[in-house]
Parts: sequence; structure tokens; C-alpha cells
Amino acid sequence: MNDDDAQLQDIAKRLGARAAERLDVDQTARAVVERLREQPAARSAWVQPAWLRIAAALVILAGGVFALRQVWSGTSDGHAAHFVADDLRDLSADQLRDVLATLDETLTRDSTALPDGTAEMDELDAQQLRAVLRSLEG
Amino acid sequence: MAQPHPVSAEPLPDAALIAAWQGGDEQAAAELVGRHARALARFLAGAGAPEADLDDLVQDTFIRAFRSVGRFRGQCQFRTWLLAIGGNALKDHGRRANRRQVMPLDESVRDSRGDPHQLAEVREAETRLTAGLKVLPRLQREVFLLRAQQGFEYEEIAAALATTPGAARVHYHHAVRRLKELIEL
Repeated sequence: MNDDDAQLQDIAKRLGARAAERLDVDQTARAVVERLREQPAARSAWVQPAWLRIAAALVILAGGVFALRQVWSGTSDGHAAHFVADDLRDLSADQLRDVLATLDETLTRDSTALPDGTAEMDELDAQQLRAVLRSLEG
Repeated sequence: MAQPHPVSAEPLPDAALIAAWQGGDEQAAAELVGRHARALARFLAGAGAPEADLDDLVQDTFIRAFRSVGRFRGQCQFRTWLLAIGGNALKDHGRRANRRQVMPLDESVRDSRGDPHQLAEVREAETRLTAGLKVLPRLQREVFLLRAQQGFEYEEIAAALATTPGAARVHYHHAVRRLKELIEL
């Protein structure tokens, strides 16, 4: 360190010293404590990040549920059969009939053939209904 | 309310007082104010705080610090962290006061001790340094004061000001070079 640096540091060390000496530290401490006591709500409101995290998690959860519902409702209109057919083995004959009933119009429009010798879906057993759905999957 | 911290021969470290304050001990908060108020006042005065507003600024800084003490993780000393908060408080104060200028000391509050000629020289040097500090960028000014006035190491300064020790060193040297030019040392 050269002389100029030392001189600069010397002045800097004295800077504000007189003003600081005039500060009534005890009075300042009392005033700070008093102000903290008078406004405790602000402290509890802002020093609890846990509440912020919980609120953020709730918003994300609500957004996720909303998005899932949107996806589900958008898909169920036109592609119910695809979801159901993904796991045909878990469906009973009645459930399979319900699915096919929702596709009735599609079946008619696309002229999808039912097994030979059958005119009504009610007459099909579970195995035949699965075969129909699989044929619809392509 | 928590019980006041026990009186012991050894002064409690700042960390213990902070923990006591977080537990509701107001006396611990008062003790922290007592320990650091003068250093904070010197720092604020050096950074350009008007003397008439110094007490308010010291109080505001402590209020901010105590309310956000949950974010203090011991990354630096409590005092360094406090002074960094003081820098923010001063910036906000300056904005509110519409960039109010530092007022010259009133004759009634001037120190009348010592040799008048010597005192005049000291005051002149301080006035020039204060004026020089005012034109520095804020980070250079705060790094200079934390280093030259308060005596902190670069690592400590860097932790308080969220920068690196290398950057703090560069800011300090830029500040010194600029101040020498400005105050014609």
C-alpha cells in the first residue's frame, strides 16, 4: 500500500465518526424495539415462507387438475373407444356393450361389419364384443 | 413472550442474540442495536446519508434487518449483512427524498475539540472524500466503505453484497483510483 492509499484509508476510517458519536444508541434501541412491537403483523406475514410455499403448491395443484380435466373432457368426446379398448380384458360384457353403444353411430357411418349371423349387439358375448372393438382399433 | 437471555460474563455471539430475538426476546434485539448502531451510522454517513436523517435511517435499517432475519444464514457476519441492508435503505431514502443532497454540518453540532486548524484540514479531507464517494457507482462506494472504513475482508464483503471476492477487489481498486483523482491526493 502506498502513502496515498494509506491516507485515503485514514480519512475513510474517520468518515462519519462524529455523526455516529452523536447517535443516542440507547434511545435508538428503544425506538427499534417499540416499532417492532407496534407492527408485529408485518413480521409474521413476511417471515413465513412456508405459507407462500403452500399457496404456490395449491395453485399448481389446481392448475394441474384443471388441465387434466380439460384433456380428459377433450379426449372423451371423440376417442372414448380408444381408451376403453386399451384394456379390454378388464371390462365386463355390459361395459363393452356401453362402449359399443356410444360408437353405434360411428359403426353405422363407417359400415363396420358385425360378425356374420349377428344383427344385435345384445346377442354378442364378451369374446365377440372384444373382437369387434379390436377390429375398430385397426 | 420468551424470557430475556441470561446475563453472563462472556458476551453472547450475534448468532445467539438473533436466535433469541427470533424466539421473541426483545432485549436481544436491543442488544444487537447497541452493538452495531454506531458502525451502521458511520457507514450510512460515509455513504452520503444526511445527518438529520441518520437516526431514522439507522432505525429503518434495523427494522428491515429484524423482519428479514430469517433469510440471514450466517453467510457473512451480521454486521456486514446489516450494512448491506443499510445501503438499500439509504437508496430508498434517497429516492423518496428526491435525491436530496448532503447538507453541511450545522455549526452547533460541529466538534469544537482540538486544534482548529488541524480540525479544519480533517474536515476538508472528509468533505472531499464524501463528495467523491457520492459520484461513485453504488457498488464501488459500498465496497470501498466496507473495506476502507469498516475493515472487512474481500470474502466477507463479497458474501454480503452477493458478489465474488475477485469482483469486490476490482470494485475496491476502481473506487480508490477514482477517489484519488477526485479528491486530488
